[in-house]
Amino acid sequence: MPKLIVDGKEIEVPPEYTILQACEAAGAEIPRFCYHERLSIAGNCRMCLVEVQGGPPKPVASCAMGVRDLRPGPNGEPPVVFTKSPMVKKAREGVMEFLLVNHPLDCPICDQGGECDLQDQAMAYGVDSSRFHENKRAVEDKYIGPLVRTSMNRCIHCTRCVRFTNEVAGVGDLGAIGRGEDMEITTYLEHAMGSELQGNVIDLCPVGALTSKPYAFKARPWELIKTESVDVMDAVGSAIRIDTRGREVMRILPVVNEDVNEEWISDKTRFIWDGLKTQRLDRPYIRENGRLRAASWSEAFALIAAKVKATEPSRIGAIAGDLNAVEEIFALRQLMQALGSPNLDCRQDGAQLNPAFGRGSYLFNATIAGIEDADAVLLIGSNPRREAPVLNARIRKRWLAGNLPVAYVGEAMDLTYRAEQLGAGAQTLVDLANGAHGFVEVLRQAQRPLIIIGQGALARADGAAVLAAATRLAVDVGAVGDDWNGLSVLHTAAARVGALDVGFVPGEGGLSAQQMAAAGALDVVYLLGADEISIAPGAFVIYQGSHGDNGAHRADVILPGAAYPEKSGIYLNTEGRVQVADRASFPPGDAREDWAIIRALSDVLGHRLGYDNLGALREALVAEVPHMADRNQIAAGALELPAIAAAIAQMEPAPFASPVVDFYLTNPIARASAVMAECSALARGAVAQAAE
Amino acid sequence: MKRLLQLVFTWWNGATAGTLLTTSRSGQFVGEDEFGNRYYRKPGKDPTIGVERRWVIYKGEADGSAVPAGWKGWLNQTVHVAPSEETYQPREWQKRHLPNPTGTPGAYRPQGSILRAGERPAATGDYQAWTP
Repeated sequence: MPKLIVDGKEIEVPPEYTILQACEAAGAEIPRFCYHERLSIAGNCRMCLVEVQGGPPKPVASCAMGVRDLRPGPNGEPPVVFTKSPMVKKAREGVMEFLLVNHPLDCPICDQGGECDLQDQAMAYGVDSSRFHENKRAVEDKYIGPLVRTSMNRCIHCTRCVRFTNEVAGVGDLGAIGRGEDMEITTYLEHAMGSELQGNVIDLCPVGALTSKPYAFKARPWELIKTESVDVMDAVGSAIRIDTRGREVMRILPVVNEDVNEEWISDKTRFIWDGLKTQRLDRPYIRENGRLRAASWSEAFALIAAKVKATEPSRIGAIAGDLNAVEEIFALRQLMQALGSPNLDCRQDGAQLNPAFGRGSYLFNATIAGIEDADAVLLIGSNPRREAPVLNARIRKRWLAGNLPVAYVGEAMDLTYRAEQLGAGAQTLVDLANGAHGFVEVLRQAQRPLIIIGQGALARADGAAVLAAATRLAVDVGAVGDDWNGLSVLHTAAARVGALDVGFVPGEGGLSAQQMAAAGALDVVYLLGADEISIAPGAFVIYQGSHGDNGAHRADVILPGAAYPEKSGIYLNTEGRVQVADRASFPPGDAREDWAIIRALSDVLGHRLGYDNLGALREALVAEVPHMADRNQIAAGALELPAIAAAIAQMEPAPFASPVVDFYLTNPIARASAVMAECSALARGAVAQAAE
Repeated sequence: MKRLLQLVFTWWNGATAGTLLTTSRSGQFVGEDEFGNRYYRKPGKDPTIGVERRWVIYKGEADGSAVPAGWKGWLNQTVHVAPSEETYQPREWQKRHLPNPTGTPGAYRPQGSILRAGERPAATGDYQAWTP
C-alpha cells in the first residue's frame, strides 16, 4: 500500500484512494463542493486543492488525483501533501472568490441558509469584500418538477445533481447546457424529472440552487427539532430524520445507513409530511343511524364492548395494516387471543406468506447490502423501482459495477438498468423451476445468484405455489446455501415482517383477511390501520388509524390513532432488520398512541393486557419474540424446505403484476398528501403521453 | 426619611440632590408639560457644552420617554422657543403624547400572548381534521 505524509503525519492507504480520501484518513479536513463519496469524480469546483511535494508544481485537485500517481522523493521518501500551507490557503481563497463572483448575496432569503456548504466554507476561505464590480450573472429559474425548486442564480456548477440523476437514479433527466459562466443545469425542455429518487438532489446541492419546493420558506434549520426515525412508506425501512417545529412535521431527510439506504430516500418518504397534516382522525366517531358522529372515548369503547360481548369469539376478526409498529400488532394479537378468536391476519393484500414455512421464507435473505455481492439477479413479480426505489438504486449500483445479468418474470417495466424480460407469468416460472429455461444456466453459473420474489407474485390465490416454485429454482441453482441465501422476498408493507414475526396470522381454523372481508363471514372486524381492504357490508367494523381513508369510511366505530412520526415503535424491514423509530411529534387532538388504545380497550373488554407502558409492552414482546431486542440486527431465518415443497401446485396463467400501480399513492398518508397527488397526476400524465 | 434616602441613593425618583442644588442656584423655570414634568434652563451659553444648558425634573419616576415632543425638541436644542413660550394649539386629530409603556401593565402584548388579559382566540390547529 502506498505511503504518504499528510501534514507531517505518515499514513498508509489503499492504492485506489484519491489524495482527498487519504487526507481524510489522516484526519485532515478538505473543503469540497463537487466531490461526493457516492458519485463519480468530476473535479470541477477546485475547492479541494492541496499542495503536493513530488507532484505537479501547482495546487492539485485532491479529489481527482490518485495516491498511486504521486512520485516518491529522490531517495524513495513518501510523497508529501500539505493541506494547510499558505499556498493551499491562497489557492482555495482564489477559488472561493471566483465562486462568489456570480453567487448572489441572498442568504437571508435562501432556504439553504444555515446548512449551506458554500456559506460554511466561505467562513473559512472567503475574503471580506468583492473585487468584482461587474454585474452578477443572471440565470433563469427552471421548472424541474413539483418537488424540487430551482434558484439557478445560486448554482455553482458542481454537477452533483447531474451525476446523481445519471448514475444513481438512472434517468438522464438533468444535464448541463452551455460552457463556463453560461453553463446551466436544466431538464432541457423544462419537463419534470421522472425519478422516484429526485428529492435527493436537494440534499446533494451544496448551495441553495435546488431546494425543496413543498418546504420552501416554511422553516429555518436551526429552529427545527431533529428526531432520527425509520421510514414506513415502503418495506426498506430507510433511516430518516424527522424535523419538527412544535408538533408539526416540517420535513423529512435521510440519515446515512450503509446497510439499508446508504444516504438516499425515495420521494414518497421525503415529501409525505404534508399528508400528516390533512385528513387526520382527531376524535373517536361512532355510527348512528347510518351517519358517523363525534363521540368520546368512553362512548366508543362502551359501544365496542357491547358489540364484542354479544358476539361469539369465532365471529370476531382483526386485520392489521401496512404502517403499524410491531407493538400495537402484538398487543392486538394478545387481545384477540384473550377473546378467543383465531381470526387474525396481517396480509390484507392476500400475500401467501406463512410463518409455518420458516422465517426465511418471508425475509429478504440476501440483505440489501448483500445485493452488491450478487452476480445474477432474477426478479419474480416485482417492480423494485416502484415498490422500493432505494433498493432498486442498489441493484443499479451493482449493475453499474459490471457483469450483472438481470432478468425478470412479470410485466414489461423500466428499471433504470438493463433487464431481460423472460416472460410475464407463472408458465415462465415453471420453466425456470424445471430447469427448462436458458436463464437457469446463468443463475447456475453465478456464485451468488439473487432471486427476488415480489408481492405481485405472492399476493395471488396461488401465491404459495409461486413461492414453492421459486424456492425450488433457488435451491436448484444453489442460491440457498450456508454463506449465501439469495432467496429474497421483497415486501411492500413496512409492518408486514414484524406482524408475521409476532404471528399475526390466522390461528387454528381462523379466517384469512380475504375470507374475513367476505360478506357474512364475521360480525365484528377490527381494522388496525388496514385501508387496502374493503369489508363487505354487514359486519360491525372498528377502525383504528390515523387518517380518514377507506377504512374510516367503512367503519362503525373510529378510534383515532397516531401516524408513524407520532409514536415510538419497532419496525422490521424486508430484511427482517429490527429498527426502532423514535417519536418526533404528538398525535393530534384526542388521538392516542395505538398500543395505548388497545391496552385501554382490553380493560373495557374485561381482558386486561399486562402492561401499562411501552417499556413493559416491549419486555413482553421480547419475552415472546427474542430477536426484537436486537436493534439494527437481522436474526437469520430458517427455511422449512419440505413444507414449502409440499405447497407446489398448478398455477394460474395470469401475469405477475406489481401491487404498486401508483408509486405515489400507496397508503392513507400518501393519499392525504397534496404533493403526492400532484406527483401522481404528473406521472400518470407522463404515462398517457408516452402511450400516445 | 424614605424620601431622604431616595434623594441620596437613587437617581430615578425625581431629581438627584445635585440637580436640585443646581436648579435652586442657577435654574430658571421655563414651564411645565401636561404630565407635570418641570423644565429649567440656565440662561446664557454654557462654556462646557457650547449652548444653553436645559434640563427637566420629572414628576415621579425618571423616564425619558415621558417628555412630550415639543419639550423634547426644546431640551435637545432643536428649537429655541420653549412650548410654554409659544401659542401652539394642537389639532384635534393629534394624539396625546404617550410615554413608552414597555415594562408596565400597559405594555403591548401580541395576539394570543398568555400575558394578555381577556379571552384569547381559539387555536386554529396545525392539522386539518377529517370529517365524515
